[in-house]
Amino acid sequence: MKATIERAVLLKSLGHVQSVVERRNTIPILSNVLIEAVEGGGIKLMATDLDLQIVETVEAQVEQAGATTVSAHTLFDIVRKLPEGSQVSLEAAEGKMAVNAGRARFNLSTLPRDDFPVIAEGDLPTVFEIPAATLREIVDKTRFAISTEETRYYLNGIFFHVTDDDQPVLKAAATDGHRLARFTLPRPDGAEGMPDVIIPRKCIAELRKMLDELDGTVEIALSDSKVRFGLGTAVMTSKLIDGTFPDYNRVIPTGNDKLLKIDPRSFEEGVDRVATIATEKTRAVKMALDTDKITLSVTSPENGTASEEVAGQYGSDGFEIGFNARYLLDILGQVQGDAIEVHLADAAAPTLIRENDKASALYVLMPMRV
Amino acid sequence: MPIRRLPEHLVNRIAAGEVVERPASALKELVENAVDAGATRITVRLSSGGIDRVEVIDDGCGMSAEEMALALERHATSKLPDDDIEGVETLGFRGEALPSIASVSRLTLESRVRGAEGWSRIVDNGDLEEEGPAALPPGTRVLVENLFAKVPARRKFLRTPRSEYAAAADTIRRLAMARSDIGFTLEHDGRRNIAVQPGETRPERVAALTDRQLIENSVAVDYDRGTAKLEGVASLPTFNRGVADHQYLFVNGRPVKDRLLIGAVRGAYQDLLARDRHPVLALFLTVPAGEVDVNVHPAKTEVRFREPANIRGLIVGGLRHALDEAGFRSVQRPSAAALGNWQAEPVEGGVGQSSTAYPQGYSSEHPQPHQQGHPQGFQQRAAFFTPPPGSDQASVWDGAPEYQPAPEGKAEAAEAPVPDAATHPLGIARGQVSETYIVAEAEDGLVIVDQHAAHERLVLERMNRAVAEGGVASQGLLVPEVVDLDESACDALEERIGELAELGLELERFGPKAMLVRATPAMLGAGDTKGLVRDLADEIAAYDQHLSLKEKLDHVAATMACHGSVRAGRVLAVAEMNALLREMEVTPHSGQCNHGRPTWVKLGHGDIEKLFGRK
Repeated sequence: MKATIERAVLLKSLGHVQSVVERRNTIPILSNVLIEAVEGGGIKLMATDLDLQIVETVEAQVEQAGATTVSAHTLFDIVRKLPEGSQVSLEAAEGKMAVNAGRARFNLSTLPRDDFPVIAEGDLPTVFEIPAATLREIVDKTRFAISTEETRYYLNGIFFHVTDDDQPVLKAAATDGHRLARFTLPRPDGAEGMPDVIIPRKCIAELRKMLDELDGTVEIALSDSKVRFGLGTAVMTSKLIDGTFPDYNRVIPTGNDKLLKIDPRSFEEGVDRVATIATEKTRAVKMALDTDKITLSVTSPENGTASEEVAGQYGSDGFEIGFNARYLLDILGQVQGDAIEVHLADAAAPTLIRENDKASALYVLMPMRV
Repeated sequence: MPIRRLPEHLVNRIAAGEVVERPASALKELVENAVDAGATRITVRLSSGGIDRVEVIDDGCGMSAEEMALALERHATSKLPDDDIEGVETLGFRGEALPSIASVSRLTLESRVRGAEGWSRIVDNGDLEEEGPAALPPGTRVLVENLFAKVPARRKFLRTPRSEYAAAADTIRRLAMARSDIGFTLEHDGRRNIAVQPGETRPERVAALTDRQLIENSVAVDYDRGTAKLEGVASLPTFNRGVADHQYLFVNGRPVKDRLLIGAVRGAYQDLLARDRHPVLALFLTVPAGEVDVNVHPAKTEVRFREPANIRGLIVGGLRHALDEAGFRSVQRPSAAALGNWQAEPVEGGVGQSSTAYPQGYSSEHPQPHQQGHPQGFQQRAAFFTPPPGSDQASVWDGAPEYQPAPEGKAEAAEAPVPDAATHPLGIARGQVSETYIVAEAEDGLVIVDQHAAHERLVLERMNRAVAEGGVASQGLLVPEVVDLDESACDALEERIGELAELGLELERFGPKAMLVRATPAMLGAGDTKGLVRDLADEIAAYDQHLSLKEKLDHVAATMACHGSVRAGRVLAVAEMNALLREMEVTPHSGQCNHGRPTWVKLGHGDIEKLFGRK
């Protein structure tokens, strides 16, 4: 294999693929990136952690076709430190790969490409397209609620499913047992009959990074065990979480009769300010609701107390409720409009937060007993 | 097959199966008899772990010849004078032990009532072999030989003499601890292994039977609650063991083994000791005879309390109270080994010995805890003069009371302390060593404080106080978690729902065999709820205590305390050091870090003088 490639191009795509590679591996070849040069077709970079795989094709002058694998992080670090604008030549022979740029010479050890594991996609019957901007929004508005707790593995991802409510919709939901975030969008063409899938957290994280640099649309193809994202020059394939997402519709309250309308920015800033006092671990913020005003307060036995009044529209009976400040801030950080609705019932019941009843995003938050 | 009444010798052998299963259990019965007979000195001689021979000699009230004959009958006893089995106050009462032992061994019983003639009776496996007058001092001598010689099934199941001896020694230890007014001697194969004098105080007796250093490193427990009373000795958290076998419980003077003790001790020492370390303690519980049933098991090692929850509360409360009073105390003296390395230096020092005179190899053979800051030559010489590891340094440094730093005029004269020092037990900070240890001068010696460990403990205590005042916040769950458990485990958890809710865990019964978790402590974040509830259920079943939840919360608090405290390696100003010392003096449990290691040690003036050969 022999090819020459521009440093900037190589760095960008290596940046994409190397983040899939785990820092520590028990299987040596999983630390490596597969580099495959195709005559006249540029080079293909591929990395995997056995659950997630990214393949990216970049332009290059290929003198001799061939393939090899080298340590992804090492190669990435080398390319990162090479002078800007240099041409990088990759040449693999006899179990070594030479990386030359300018006057720098590297000779990296390789592992045979035939050992490199490739995820078998199988048949992916459902195929549809979503604009990259929409997918970005879906991920942003739901991913913060993904659980990190391994014992409930089926919550470690975003749940995608289609339903026919009033009109056909695609819904994405994530929860960690304390809060729930759901995003609804009109069902894209081709998504009918889609199986319910849970896309794992790592895949979501990598996907989100790639979406930053992407305009246009993303092609999504999936079966009940695999999903593939077509992201321009890159293709990401991931296994899905094999589990059943709980029936989250049951926890979305419908009978919360106390409505608070409030400016999310002043609310967010108020919560953030009073939470400064809270101790690191619990961060409980108490909200005292009264006619057209809420008082946020935090009491910490160590640090003292803080309180702030925030104006809002509220007409029901006054009462007090506590929330985890971090959870509130996570949700408020995702709201763009200038007013949100907070539907409350009592100090122990789930609370519903959304911009309005047309909004695509909806959040449910469990209060804290303080 | 007709039903018939079993012959007497068979009945005795069956009873022996319950009471006498190994030499240690026979020994226990015999020594208990001696104690009940009012003896002041009891001598026990064993051979081959008691398999070949068990001999118990006491100076108690003795028995007349007629009583001796009767004593060897079943259910014959002098111990229930008014037939009040509910209110037993002697150790034995069943009247089964002697005939049972006599039916499975060759038993020689000799006894003399003060002022009367002695009599002897020899019974071989249930049959009277001979009887006649005997010459012996007042009291009783019981000799059991060839235990189970004619019961091969039992004999086969005996362990090695060594482990039989260990069991027998443990029995004696427990009984001796229970009665510090009686002197005990245990000889095994001609060697005297335990010898305690009559009339010792309880702490002395406990220390003599466990660890001599316990005396200096323990607190006295003395706690009343209603009719029940708890006394005893408990080690400071800094004085701990890797196994929990040095924990003794006595109920009304009777040694018992009860799992209630394990749970209660863990509860009391929680957040003072790492989970795998155990304190040394002996607790003496006195409850009205009606509150406890000792007639549960023939061997009487188990008892049943009418209200176990109260007893548990009493033990936890009593221990906690005693430890709280200990305040900032910890193992006060540096370990003997550490001192040993210092000690040798001045004796031969200053003669101008060249360090090169000693081979390098010596210094590597001995651990050197005080390497920093000494010149190279000093280290090597100190190592050379260090006594070999096998030598008995502990006896020099720790045993005898005369080495206590005495508050005498000499110490004052060495250097006039700042007047303040008198009022501050931890002294006045003089400086910092390797940015880790605070060196302070106290009235009676030199105090060295580990700044990180000490501050970590202070922060934790502060956080615990905050939690105690504010309660634990709990985070509701969107989808309540269902945890499948046994029915009995669910019942146990259901009883404790109130207590658990106070710690932030809200549970609800969900059908006969499941619990529903509605809310979890916010501090724990999104942890493994199912695992936590299962652990709690297991613990309640095993110890009648829910320790895990508190432990988990403490662990979070401890981690935060660790991050929020002054680290080793930070330079402290003298004012900061003094502030730390003053706070340690007023904070409970500041004598050990969260894992039971000491936060400070004191080198008394006496110790220092010793280092320089002045004493």
